[in-house]
Order: sequence, then C-alpha cells, then structure tokens
Amino acid sequence: MRHNFCPLGSLIFSVFKTLTDQQVTVELKNDLSITGVLKSVDQFLNIRLDSIKVLDEARHPHMMAVKNCFIRGSVVRYVQLPSEHVDTQLLEDATRRGAPT
Amino acid sequence: MSSLQGYVDRRVLLILQDGRVIVGVMAGFDQKSNVVLSDSKERIYSIDEGVEEIPLGLYLVKGDMIVLIGELDDAVEQAVDLATIHAEPIPPIRY
Amino acid sequence: MENSSIQEPFDLIRLSLSERVFVKLRGDRELTGILHAYDGHMNLIMSDVEETIMIVDVAEGAPAGQPATVNVAKRKMEMLFVRGDGVILVRLPYCRICRCSCNQVSPPSRT
Repeated sequence: MRHNFCPLGSLIFSVFKTLTDQQVTVELKNDLSITGVLKSVDQFLNIRLDSIKVLDEARHPHMMAVKNCFIRGSVVRYVQLPSEHVDTQLLEDATRRGAPT
Repeated sequence: MSSLQGYVDRRVLLILQDGRVIVGVMAGFDQKSNVVLSDSKERIYSIDEGVEEIPLGLYLVKGDMIVLIGELDDAVEQAVDLATIHAEPIPPIRY
Repeated sequence: MENSSIQEPFDLIRLSLSERVFVKLRGDRELTGILHAYDGHMNLIMSDVEETIMIVDVAEGAPAGQPATVNVAKRKMEMLFVRGDGVILVRLPYCRICRCSCNQVSPPSRT
C-alpha cells in the first residue's frame, strides 16, 4: 500500500501539537464555532480547548457555563489556525517528503 | 489520547450528534470515549419556552454519538435561570 | 518530466503544493486557497482561503420543478485546517496540467 506515507495522518497531528497553547477556532459539522486555547490533540484529532467562547453566543447560549471542552475529531469541519505560528515552507517540505515519489 | 481523565467526577455538558444536550456528572469513560454520566438530565431548548430539563439518571452515551464534552463552571450554572433561556436547539451533525 | 511522475491521484495533489487550489466540500461548500499540506485522509492545510457556501432556498408552496433561489455566502480565513472526510474533490491549478504559464484556477472555456 503506497498511501501509508503519512501513518495515521501523523503530519497533521504534528502540526496541531506545535500549535498547543495557541488560540484556534474550531468549526463543527453542526455549524457551531468555538474559539479557545488548544490544550491537546490526539491521533484521531480529538481536540481539547480551554477558555472557550462560542461564536454568536446569543444564538447559542447552550454552552455559556462551559469553560473547557473535548471535541471529537470526527465532527470537526474546519480549524482556523494562527497563521503566524504555521511555517508553510516546513509543511510543504514535510508533505513532499512524506508523499510517494 | 487527548484524554477525558480530567473530566471524571466533574459536572459536564455533552452535545450529541442529533443535537441533544445532556448534563451530568462524569462517572467514567473508556478508550472509545463511551461515557457514563450519573445524575444526568437532558436539556431541551426552544424559542417559545424556557429550557426544560428531563431527568435521565444514570446514563451511558456511546462515544460515536458524542460531538463535544464540556466542563461546567458551577458558579455560572448557578447564576443562570434556565427558565429564562430561549434558544433554538443545536442542529444535528451534517456535512 | 513532471507529468510522467503522475501515476495516481495523490501525485496530482502533490504537484499543487504551494499553489492555489479549488476544493469542493460536502454541504454545498467550496474553498479556494493555497495548499500547504495534506495527508492520506485528504486532510488539508490551506492559507488565504475564501469559502463559498451555497444556500438553496426552496420557496414554500412553490410548484415542483420551479427553480430554487440560491444565495451565496462568502468569507475569508487566513489559515485553515480542513478535515478530509468533507472533501469531495481538489481541483489543481490548471496550468500544471496544460503546462502553460497561466495561473488560473478555472479551466479555460471550451470553444
């Protein structure tokens, strides 16, 4: 199998690990957007966020008493990353290196 | 594993795939993030009426069904009168 | 020769690293942005992203077959991780296929 170039998607997993303690916005497949400080991530890209804030809290007051949360990786649509902490050249090199020739 | 260990014995809020919101005390969890809640209640949100709480007691939630687990801040919880909260239910997960 | 190294789908995506790509997603969403990373799940990391969401409104009580109105919402995001399970297709910068010097995302019109 040639597509095991990135076992368990470990490249993306590593990227998230480097963003620990940075602020990210996670958009879920139920259209909820949650901003918070990335505390940890695992191989499934499950995410733990601290000091969270839900976008449009007036419409979504359901989580107003929630201070930190665990988000299941499979329900994530996007994660907005802090671009100043992402080295795009490094990412491209790592992706090329991991890819089959 | 981005572990759920920190949530054991804490009051948590779960959002499920179908949009349901359940609060309770996390009694335990496993590798597949199946979760056992004690003293749990479902919170039903609607625009027309305040939040309704349905007691569920001891509840096991399958990991696959879970969208999010949040730790509740008891101080904020106590300061809020759920009967005054009017909101649309959380939509179910769709792509 | 660059094209001769294309043997399977992921080889095509590799050629579009650091180029602007078009991504079609589930849920009537589309993205354009510069591709910086991907993996075997088609998880992507893109920058300078513009998202387009098509919101289809079917008028209530409208006769069947009447065309629905489509509203389009756009927004921009600086740096974005896209989970691969929502990806339907990744379209390459066209110039990498036709080997011309253009750098447009959309293919040239067919005449």
